[in-house]
Amino acid sequence: MLKLTGGVGIAGLAGCSGSSGNEAYNIGMVDAQTGSLSAFGERNQRGKDLALSAVNEVGIGGSDLQVTVEDSGSENQGGISAAQKLVNQDGVPFLIGAVGSGVSLAIYESVIEGTDVVQLSQNSTGLGLTEFPGLLRMSPPGSTQATALADIIGEDGYDEVALTFVNNDYGRSLAEAFTDAWDGSVAYNNSHDQEQQSYSSVISEMNSSSADAWLFITYQAEFGKMVNEIFSKGYEPMLYGADSAQGQNVLDNTPDGSMDGMKIVVPSAPVDEQNYKDFASAFESEYDQSPTSWAAYAYDCVINAALAIQAADAFTGAALGEVVREVTRPEGEQVTTFEAASDILADGSPSDVDYQGVSGPIDFDENGDPVGFLQVLEVQDHSYEGVDFISS
Amino acid sequence: MVLDLLASGLVFSSIIVLGSIGLSLVYSIADFANFAHGDTMTIGAYTSLVTFGAVGGLGVTVLGLPLGFFVALLAGIGVAAFVAVVTEKLVYDGMDLDSIGLLIASIGLAFIYRAVVQLGFGAQSTRYGIGALRPIEALLPYGVRVTQHDVAIVLSAAVLVTGLHVLLQYSDLGRKMRAMADNPDLARVSGIRTDRVKLWTWIIGAGLAGAGGAFLGLYSQLTPRMGFNLLLLIFAAVILGGIGSVYGAMLGGFLIGMINQLTPLLSNVGIPIGIEYADAIAFVIMVVVLLFRPNGIAGEAS
Repeated sequence: MLKLTGGVGIAGLAGCSGSSGNEAYNIGMVDAQTGSLSAFGERNQRGKDLALSAVNEVGIGGSDLQVTVEDSGSENQGGISAAQKLVNQDGVPFLIGAVGSGVSLAIYESVIEGTDVVQLSQNSTGLGLTEFPGLLRMSPPGSTQATALADIIGEDGYDEVALTFVNNDYGRSLAEAFTDAWDGSVAYNNSHDQEQQSYSSVISEMNSSSADAWLFITYQAEFGKMVNEIFSKGYEPMLYGADSAQGQNVLDNTPDGSMDGMKIVVPSAPVDEQNYKDFASAFESEYDQSPTSWAAYAYDCVINAALAIQAADAFTGAALGEVVREVTRPEGEQVTTFEAASDILADGSPSDVDYQGVSGPIDFDENGDPVGFLQVLEVQDHSYEGVDFISS
Repeated sequence: MVLDLLASGLVFSSIIVLGSIGLSLVYSIADFANFAHGDTMTIGAYTSLVTFGAVGGLGVTVLGLPLGFFVALLAGIGVAAFVAVVTEKLVYDGMDLDSIGLLIASIGLAFIYRAVVQLGFGAQSTRYGIGALRPIEALLPYGVRVTQHDVAIVLSAAVLVTGLHVLLQYSDLGRKMRAMADNPDLARVSGIRTDRVKLWTWIIGAGLAGAGGAFLGLYSQLTPRMGFNLLLLIFAAVILGGIGSVYGAMLGGFLIGMINQLTPLLSNVGIPIGIEYADAIAFVIMVVVLLFRPNGIAGEAS
């Protein structure tokens, strides 16, 4: 660490040798390092480490950024203890956390709410977080998918849709978000249970609803069975799906050509943008595999925190809270790296910068939700092809 | 619409019937509710998957199914029966337990079967390497949308059920099985080797379950939980028909499968009960029947 700071001091040219002696800024991160969400936690850590080295290569006004990581164990209670330790003992003004939506909310309600500490969740997609404007998140809520699907189906010229969703929180909330966003009529709107052996009654009801566009908010195994039943019943509707209904397992278990033309909306990193490509190649050379969007979200959390620290008047929760949204919002100059944003902040105000993340444009809204960046996939020759990007 | 639903019901019933018979047979002879029965179906399905992968299509095609699938089906029946016999010899036979103890033991065995399948094949779903078919053209004018595979499932189930009927009614083994189901002690003192009859019961019951599982894989897809997920419906069928009665199980399986698939009719005639309650409706009917006939439709009045 010392070595790195020294390097920055030299790169930062002569004169300010005193700055390398500044104390590092310390922020906290609650991550799922163990437990059922630990796969996400691992990816988060890789994204965080890459972001830290990007930030510390430049430095924040001559100081380093430090992230103290605590484990939530993927559970609410573990997340609360971790956050309490970070906020009350370490005194961090900025907390990145957590992975699961339930854990993030538990931390917010038990530890953060009522203090001026800024909480930014790296991987929560649950719709409930939208109701807590003080709780920011980097990954867009699932409802952006529903809005996007409504737009796409409308643009394809359908005014009637048959909708079936998996009978749980995920399916129900996404289906509700869809019907809210959809202007046309809903000819069929019903749930189905998971792991049924037969979905033929669902399929025949969707068919008798006479809608030509069928939307599926369900999981791969269930959707695979449904596609087979549609095929063997000889129906030929236009298929649409949420991201959970997409995957190799569906392709493997359905007949060739049975889904051609189907459109699916999946949350995606802006894979065509230069900053994402740089991030991906840095990630690949470091970890020997391609990054997932979960690593990209964690990366942007750290960059966002660093920018807020640089833009704020003081290293306190209240000061950070004032600028944390500003630095990624439109109207400022669009930049894609920490270094470029840092240059502007050096002699400008927080609203002069619009940081474009490797996970999307960010642009937190009044509820603390980012703009969703989504990719539209179309099934062509029985494989998924990206046809478009949308942000909503 | 109605004809189509009836056709779907017939296909689904065929699979439930194959599962129900075995459960009821084992209950009547071994005297406990075998919770590992659903996973015996899974074993049949995965054995067929492996066998079909090994032998391939073998050229000839019957009803859209290559000959190799029927070979795989026989292998599924054989292995399911073999596993059941080994389990009976190694586990149930050596246990000095009442029917509740055996029931609990069978729950444990269900987990073991499923875990072994999952170890070997993973938790992901898969299908046989048999191309899916479009509905039969000739039936489309009647609104019936079934594939040749569906017809094959119904016909094969009919052959197996008829075979079982002939066996029970006209063979020496069948008479002994019926005698033992009626009164095991009396059967033993009149010189029937009850151990041997019990073994055959396991073979027939698990064999039919294996066939049911193989067809379930063809009808839907293969997952390690496929049999267990169906077990509740099979229990409903067996209890509805009259537990311990083979013919009751056939009738119960047929009714439960039909009711399950005919649920869309309810909303067609204006009753606001959605298809997500299909299983619940089957169980409500089961409860109502039991209120009036506590031993099931075909069960003897007590």
